[in-house]
Amino acid sequence: MSVEYQPKVVGFLCNWCSYAGADMAGTSRMCYPENIRIIRVPCSGRVDPLFVLKCFQRGADGVLVSGCHPGDCHYTEGNYHTRRRFALLREFLDYLGIEKERLRVEWVSASEGQRFAELVADFTMELARLGPRSKI
Amino acid sequence: MGQGAKSEMDMELIQQIRDKARNLLQEGTVEGVIGYERAGDGLTSRPFFAYDSSAVERLVFDETCTHNLVKYLLNKKGKRMAVVVKPCDSRAINLLLNEKQVERDRVFIIGVSCPGVVETNWSHKGETLQARCRSCQLTKPLVYDVLLGRETSRKAEEETYSDIREAEAESVATRREFWQEQFSRCIRCYACRQVCPGCYCPVCFAERLEPLWVGIRIAPEENTLWQTVRTFHLAGRCIGCNECERVCPVDIPLSLLNRKLEKDVKRLFAFQAGLDPEEPPPFATFKKEEMLEFEK
Amino acid sequence: MKLFASRDDLICWLESLLQQRIVVAPVRVEGQTMFQPISKVEEIIFDFGNTTLSPKGWFLPPTETLFSVRRDDGQVELVPMLVEHDAVVFGLRPCDARGIALMDGPFLQEPSDTLYQERRSRTALVGLACHQAQPECFCTSMGSAPDDLSHVDILLTEVEDGYIVQVVTEKGKALLPKGWAKYKGKMPTPPQLKTIPTKEIVSAVRELFNDPYWERLADRCLHCNICAYVCPTCYCFDVRDYPDKGKVERVRSWESCQSPGFSLTAGGYDPRTTKGERLRQRFYHKLLYFPERFQEVGCVGCGRCGKACPVNIDIREVISDLQQLTEARSGS
Repeated sequence: MSVEYQPKVVGFLCNWCSYAGADMAGTSRMCYPENIRIIRVPCSGRVDPLFVLKCFQRGADGVLVSGCHPGDCHYTEGNYHTRRRFALLREFLDYLGIEKERLRVEWVSASEGQRFAELVADFTMELARLGPRSKI
Repeated sequence: MGQGAKSEMDMELIQQIRDKARNLLQEGTVEGVIGYERAGDGLTSRPFFAYDSSAVERLVFDETCTHNLVKYLLNKKGKRMAVVVKPCDSRAINLLLNEKQVERDRVFIIGVSCPGVVETNWSHKGETLQARCRSCQLTKPLVYDVLLGRETSRKAEEETYSDIREAEAESVATRREFWQEQFSRCIRCYACRQVCPGCYCPVCFAERLEPLWVGIRIAPEENTLWQTVRTFHLAGRCIGCNECERVCPVDIPLSLLNRKLEKDVKRLFAFQAGLDPEEPPPFATFKKEEMLEFEK
Repeated sequence: MKLFASRDDLICWLESLLQQRIVVAPVRVEGQTMFQPISKVEEIIFDFGNTTLSPKGWFLPPTETLFSVRRDDGQVELVPMLVEHDAVVFGLRPCDARGIALMDGPFLQEPSDTLYQERRSRTALVGLACHQAQPECFCTSMGSAPDDLSHVDILLTEVEDGYIVQVVTEKGKALLPKGWAKYKGKMPTPPQLKTIPTKEIVSAVRELFNDPYWERLADRCLHCNICAYVCPTCYCFDVRDYPDKGKVERVRSWESCQSPGFSLTAGGYDPRTTKGERLRQRFYHKLLYFPERFQEVGCVGCGRCGKACPVNIDIREVISDLQQLTEARSGS
């Protein structure tokens, strides 16, 4: 019996928008892959690049950072900082040998349950295609 | 230019530095002058702290003066110090002014128009200018209280980041292998951090126990996290003095990391560290309407 | 006993050694020479000054797991680390061999460090005499010499068509193949080194604890760990326990007294908060505390610290400065 590779995905979701969106997907009984483990943060701006790097070091194949749409941040500007930070980190990780596709930054609002389910499915498939990340 | 004319110019500059230092100490304007002296090999140089006018005779300045002396200002907070500063070092002063780590009126900046420095190791002096000097666009320090030496006639090469681009053109797997090999040699001496003017956290993330990010193990996995995060903490802050690469005892090519971020920060945020002490750094600010790559 | 081996003899011998044990030898790594376990004899470098890091890393690795503890179904199991193989450190300089002998003092005194002891007894040392002194060398001032065979099992000296093989110990004798001819020629003259006066250094150091010299010297010190890590006789380490998936590993890694926070105690007290206090500690350990305990100065004169130090803090200069300071004090 062969064991298929199941990507390990960690998702950092902001409490006010994307976590609520994920919650909505759940309450609406929308299916999405179970590969993702969700960590709730107050704002996507809370996500330190160190969290992402530690995830990769400890075995994650992909990391999702999700927050409110720019302009809608519960704390007004947190996600503007997220945007800048992770634009740079994606490039840097790719340069160091972790494909930039393994770090996704998405804006998901509280009402976008469907979108959340779809993007997790899409991300998981992409990670399955990329294969397990090599140990860094 | 003949060797004689060059060393004449050098002596003139050295005399100017000594005179200025003596003057500052005698008048009590500063408690100490941070400059360079001849190293033990009689050939290269090393940092030197002059606290009285007799000591200023030891001050020198030449193409072996590669050290960034600005870091030492962080050990001398509260004291009035003078420091000899090359154009690259002056960017470090601007960075520290911006981050409120240095009080402008407690530092007397002896600016030196530097034509570039060569690679140096103990008892070895290189022939050609360091790569960072060849592409240095500054002919004189950006900030100074006095400017000594003649403005350099060196023509700066353009910084094309060709080595970075070459690396970017390779496959992800090739790059991964390359960096794994480089980081496996790291012995976590932390010289890169200790020499860097941008690294001054009272407790470095690598020393933290809670949360435990790195730990004490000296192994490729931990080394990778150490190097990656230190570099990322300098994104938009590294002023390109390349001291980190110079001091590394196992020759890890750190400039390939720092300059990659420098290039991307320029491209994404139109920002370069240390040019203007008033300009907000790229990660302390944002533009509402910017659309970055991953959003397209 | 002196034997002679041609280059080919030597290579043959190394090939057979490699079949039986781990061979740690100088190899080229990105433009530097480092001691590493080899997989092929061709990797060995014979023509080098000295390596960037000393071979102490074979006996006290930069990082090692001392043991791990597993809990399985309520049973607690201690899993010790085992030294699995015999080894030979090949091509080490007499100064570095002396460095290892000095480290035996703290590591083999009762209760001995079991991993160090195990490695030490299962590792043979094949030294390589120096035919040229480097600008940073001062071994003859610190109890060693370019041709010193005191602390090796075998000492090789390169001559025109091969190597003179001096067999120093029974352990060394047992390693050698049969059939190498006796060497009846002269020993080459070792290179001459500049000496530094080291007489009375221990008492000079003792007197100068509170001298402002240390804070002045430390002005330029960066407080990295380079000097301690390249040094053949520095051996400070840190030990931490790391839990991971049902087991706990006790890890030991190199550390250095130069690091800020090295001597920070639980509760927040740190006896060495200033740069001068930290810098002084390293020199005091080498030049006073170590000789007080083990009757030998804890420096072998390899010169690596002054060479590798980014700001050229050189123990030779420090020794000379301290002696001058003592003379000035007693003179006045």
